[in-house]
Amino acid sequence: MPADNNWVTLLATNDRRGGVAAAARKPPTELIWKATLGDVIRSSPVLCDGVLYVTCRDGRLYAFDSRNGRERWRYQAQAALHSTPSISGNLVLFGADDGTVNALDRASGARRWQVASAGEVWASPTVYDDTVYAGSTGGDLTAIDRATGQQRWRRQLEARICATPYVSDRRIFLGCSDGRLMALDRGTGKDLWVHRAADGVVASPAVDGGLVLVGSEDYFFYAVDVESGKVRWKVETGLGVTSSAAVADGRVFFGGRDGHLYALSAADGREIWKSRPMRAIIAPPLAADGFVCIQSFYGATQAFESTTGKELWRAALGGSVASTPIVADEAVYLATYPGVVYALR
Amino acid sequence: MDRRTFVYNAALGTLHLAWGPGSGLVRAQEPSPSALGSLKIAVHAPEFTPSPLAMPGLFPGRVVQIVHPQAIQDRRIFQPAVQVMLARSMAALTGDKNPADAWARFATPTDIVALKVNPSSAPATVTSIALVREVINALNGVGVPNRNIIIYDRNSNQLEVNGYHTQVPAGVRVVGLDQRWSVKGSSDVNRSGYDPDVYCEMDCFGERETRSYLASIVTREATKIINLPCLKEHNASGVTGCLKNLAYGSFNNVARTHVDPKTYTDPVIPVMCSVGPLRSKSVLHIMDGIRAVYHGGPFGWNPEFVWEAKTLLIGTDPVAVDRIELEIVEQKRREVGAPSLWDRNPANLGRSSDIERTAQKNPFYREPNHIRTASELGLGVWDLAKIRRELLVVN
Repeated sequence: MPADNNWVTLLATNDRRGGVAAAARKPPTELIWKATLGDVIRSSPVLCDGVLYVTCRDGRLYAFDSRNGRERWRYQAQAALHSTPSISGNLVLFGADDGTVNALDRASGARRWQVASAGEVWASPTVYDDTVYAGSTGGDLTAIDRATGQQRWRRQLEARICATPYVSDRRIFLGCSDGRLMALDRGTGKDLWVHRAADGVVASPAVDGGLVLVGSEDYFFYAVDVESGKVRWKVETGLGVTSSAAVADGRVFFGGRDGHLYALSAADGREIWKSRPMRAIIAPPLAADGFVCIQSFYGATQAFESTTGKELWRAALGGSVASTPIVADEAVYLATYPGVVYALR
Repeated sequence: MDRRTFVYNAALGTLHLAWGPGSGLVRAQEPSPSALGSLKIAVHAPEFTPSPLAMPGLFPGRVVQIVHPQAIQDRRIFQPAVQVMLARSMAALTGDKNPADAWARFATPTDIVALKVNPSSAPATVTSIALVREVINALNGVGVPNRNIIIYDRNSNQLEVNGYHTQVPAGVRVVGLDQRWSVKGSSDVNRSGYDPDVYCEMDCFGERETRSYLASIVTREATKIINLPCLKEHNASGVTGCLKNLAYGSFNNVARTHVDPKTYTDPVIPVMCSVGPLRSKSVLHIMDGIRAVYHGGPFGWNPEFVWEAKTLLIGTDPVAVDRIELEIVEQKRREVGAPSLWDRNPANLGRSSDIERTAQKNPFYREPNHIRTASELGLGVWDLAKIRRELLVVN
């Protein structure tokens, strides 16, 4: 878990390490609270200062008190929501199917700004310093001033962008549906390098040890040099990879559409372990304190020991398409596809 | 919109069973028509406007089957091969040498084209992204912009798990009908994926909700539908081909039509396909048999029951295409010693979970005769002797 006990974006923080200090190795046995929302939930919840934020396909973003599930506020958007929210300062940011990127006041739910893009925004907006980055299915990537909502630059990449970009000091790393894995200049949006996979790159990249780590629909998982864009290693999987990777303690974890959860050495791609096949996995796993956790499409939330792949626990609470649980010190928070949010202990 | 109600309630069809000698490979002969009277179905729909493009379309009784040995390379569907297959088979179907001329028969730049995919199987056996991309390329080639193209199915979770939302070209809309906000910018005030004014009403097994509504994309938005089913067995309907993909993927509340071991897929599938908007807008059927399923459908979880047929079947006549599909699946089942799709041996009935384990068991008496029933409703040609089947093999 991050030091401030918050979980502010997909896989906890912008470094995609997935909450490495979390401490729920034992199975949850007690329901603290649950909330049934008005439609399915495709996104992951985020947590900040005792408030759990969840987007729902009914077009609402909900803010719950994480201790008791009491609803603090809700915001009704004008379209379905599939995007995992991000927290930055006093704002909660999310995309909508009407092609907008939205910023709400975190305390009240009042809208602060809204920016239009060329297509549905399913990715989670990424915030770095004072800029918000968001891609859309219309093929555009937009950089937005976090405080004002003013557009700083926009690039039309002519391919769907469904994954959350990874942003570092100088670069933006993102994948496109046409197979491009790109590094863009953070200030201008211009190309720094492009690696072309044989099929779409629709997962969100992670960065570790000077490598961009991401899977492709071409059945390979790639480690690409941050500076040059050259492939350092790649590992073949059974089918395409949509699941975004989480990185912890030199290991990279991701699910495959072939139903396996993979654990590889981040340094050289060596397979450390591979789970028994489940149904297709497209959700990102989270890598936490000695264990890795996944919500699979047809089934349960499962936790595995990160070093061996031994199953530690499973909670059969309904499947998930793309949601990742939050494993905090005090609770596990899950959003299931049927639209139920659980807080478990 | 001018609407009327039809009631299908003809004489009860008779199923002729013929048990062969022995055991698990007992075969039944194809049953006689008609199942139309076996279930009373009231259809509330707009008047059907006759059009040359409406099913059975421009080429009744014609099916082009194309096989490309390189369609799968190193376990992956090879999109350049799919491109070749599509171009040659469209040329063969239409007689047009230029692929754009062939496609121009079916779509114009102002059309809103809905692509009905089949995402309900295991990831390896759904309508392939490669085929979807090539169909979109072909539509772009005749001037249909991506913003005018909608990919749809009943289940948005299956669409997402199988990558349609993330992998098709920018600007193409991907819509699960179970989603309240079905279409961006839609004027549909209740934001439902289904049209409350177009439905089939029937009571199959005493269920509480007896209506099945048609997708509002079909009734209100699309001007053309290109159907992209898979070549696969179905545990209730025998095969899930053009007809089932259209009917059960465009209407809601359809799982109620089967309760082990009885299914009403015949006559529900053909009646649904005959409903005006669906019949008149479905202009072309391209069946993805690159990977095909001979048992365990529609989900196809067991890869043992999947084979690399490397095939596309193309036609405007869904009955003829499904008839050929039926022959292909039957042939494959014969090769592996599995009971016929027409099998009526109670000893071969099993639980739903059995179909993942063995090709000898099935929870239903399958009803592939829905294809013949569709021909009775004028949707196409059932008689093999009257189907012009052209087999192309790419060298």
